[in-house]
Amino acid sequence: MKSREQEYREIFMAEALEYYDAMSRHISELEKDPTDEQALNELFRVMHNLKANGRAMGYADIGEVAHGMETIFGLIRSKERTFSGSLVPVMFSGIDTLGRMIRAVGDGEETADASVLLANLERLVQGEEPILEDDEQSATDEDATRKLELSDLVYIQIKKLDHLLNLVGELIIDRDRILTLSQEIGNPALQSTAAHLFRITDDLQYSVMDARLVNVGSLFNKFPRVVRDVAVAERKDVELVIVGQDIQIDRNILQIITDALLHLVRNAIGHGLETPDVRRQAGKPAQGHLTLSAQTERDDVLIQVTDDGRGIDVESVRKKAVERGLVTAEAARNLDAGAVRAFLFEPGFSMAKEVTDISGRGVGLDVVKLAIDSLGGQLRVESVLGQGTTFSLVLPTSIAVKGALLFELASRSYAIPLMHTDSVVSLWPDEMHVVGGVLMARILNENIPVINLHDLLHSAEDGLLAAASKSDLMGRQDIIIVNYNNRKLGLIVDRFLRQQDIVIKPMSKPLDQIDLFGGVTLLGSGQVCLVLDVPALTRLFLAKRP
Amino acid sequence: MKNRILIVDDSFYMRTMLKNMLTDAGYEVVGEAANGQQALEMAAATKPDLITLDVILPDNTGLDVLKGIRQEQPDVKVVMCSAVGQEIIVNEALESGATAYIVKPFSEEKVLEIVGSALQVADSGSTED
Repeated sequence: MKSREQEYREIFMAEALEYYDAMSRHISELEKDPTDEQALNELFRVMHNLKANGRAMGYADIGEVAHGMETIFGLIRSKERTFSGSLVPVMFSGIDTLGRMIRAVGDGEETADASVLLANLERLVQGEEPILEDDEQSATDEDATRKLELSDLVYIQIKKLDHLLNLVGELIIDRDRILTLSQEIGNPALQSTAAHLFRITDDLQYSVMDARLVNVGSLFNKFPRVVRDVAVAERKDVELVIVGQDIQIDRNILQIITDALLHLVRNAIGHGLETPDVRRQAGKPAQGHLTLSAQTERDDVLIQVTDDGRGIDVESVRKKAVERGLVTAEAARNLDAGAVRAFLFEPGFSMAKEVTDISGRGVGLDVVKLAIDSLGGQLRVESVLGQGTTFSLVLPTSIAVKGALLFELASRSYAIPLMHTDSVVSLWPDEMHVVGGVLMARILNENIPVINLHDLLHSAEDGLLAAASKSDLMGRQDIIIVNYNNRKLGLIVDRFLRQQDIVIKPMSKPLDQIDLFGGVTLLGSGQVCLVLDVPALTRLFLAKRP
Repeated sequence: MKNRILIVDDSFYMRTMLKNMLTDAGYEVVGEAANGQQALEMAAATKPDLITLDVILPDNTGLDVLKGIRQEQPDVKVVMCSAVGQEIIVNEALESGATAYIVKPFSEEKVLEIVGSALQVADSGSTED
């Protein structure tokens, strides 16, 4: 973790360099047109900020020079001085001095003595003539000695970063291949080079991922306006609280969840929060609360949209799910609240009784769900009737590389993203029971259906799975518990292999027709490894369970 | 209830410092605005208890923002932030309804003292209605 002082220093430096660029630009504009008010105002503002920030950081010299400059630009603004004559070279030299001081601070060096400049600034404030040195009087000399400084910040198109990240992905695959080959060949020089290559590409990968990170605040800060507009249209009184703007996430992930977040916020105001009258009758404050928060959770980013509105009525969702034929009445009775709320994410499942201007445009939560799925993230909903609802989005920090669990099935390697993996267990057959044709395991007080992955992958295109029987199970079973949309499912595999970061590549045709796989990855051995798509697998199981 | 504060300053550095100081002291920072336009929008949307307002902003002066906010939200407490040298604007701001002012560079104690007492003013004012 960076210390706060270090963070302040970095921010100060980045901003000071920007200010220096801005003042260099604006003073040239002012030189061309001494009546350019906009340039003058900007110079004044930038000096003011640099003074305040410099002093706060304890850089007294920067503060003092910026203060003198600010005062003079202030006098020019109030028409007590003009940007002309001997004042001009002093101001230019002042900006050069500030530039040198900022760079010195950045390099951790002492700032040079500025007493001559400060004396001249003071003379100008007092209305006296400055005493110019030779090089200040002659503009040509000054130009010849001035160094050109470029900003330390570059703006870069996200497309270029995407390309860079793709290349890194390719590189990592080849690297793993070389590492495996070097072990097979057994040449020590080759092995040590391969090990070095491994470390460098790792570093490269994290550097590229780091370059793509932006603050969640860049999206969150657009919401006060949205909330205000929606609240007005829905006749709700809403207070928005934003938490965790500084959390960092891949820029493209933020882009992909933008619409989802917009939808959740509109929903929360439209359907979640009650009107002030209803709230008062329910004994709540008339003003509804909406919180948009971000926090890091292990390697992931957790974004939550919380309202203190009416909450989700689990019983009416249960009823509607049965009406829509998503589940039989009997099965519905046994589902816990979490599993019932998960129906909200089914395509076209809307609980809105009336269509409102803002939130009822026929787009359901399934669209939100799809966006999060496409990122390999998770969407959860928790709710207490009458008290409010929280939607949680668990998102990867970065897109390119995912942690995965590798396992073996019928002598082939498969991968399953860790994002959807709850736990791995090894169970003896007598620790499981057959209920309604489905194998069930009780893990941490929870009954979880278990299926042999081989059977699921090779099930007939139509028709249900055969009823499970414990007699097929020989010895201890390796089971991966996956979690999708609040539904847990145990997958029996032949053998766990290891946990590994993988680069997922889309599948080429015609394999991309098979939606049970989210892509492929190449292992160091050169072996192609299919990456299982947990959402698709879960849906398949639900459709085919006996 | 935590008091809710909106920070208005065009310098990211200043906003970060203020936010850390206020958050550490248990206040809730409901937003950060970098210019006058954002400040007016966020003040309307977040309805804070208190606003720290830089006197010099890129698109208009803090004074214009102060007047704009005062029209919409007469009860919100506004603490002007200024570096030394802008006493004239600060005086004008106090006459236009600013609750208090802080001079940059500020110490954490000073900020908390001024914000704390400005909010006290808010409390005694709101008991009247």
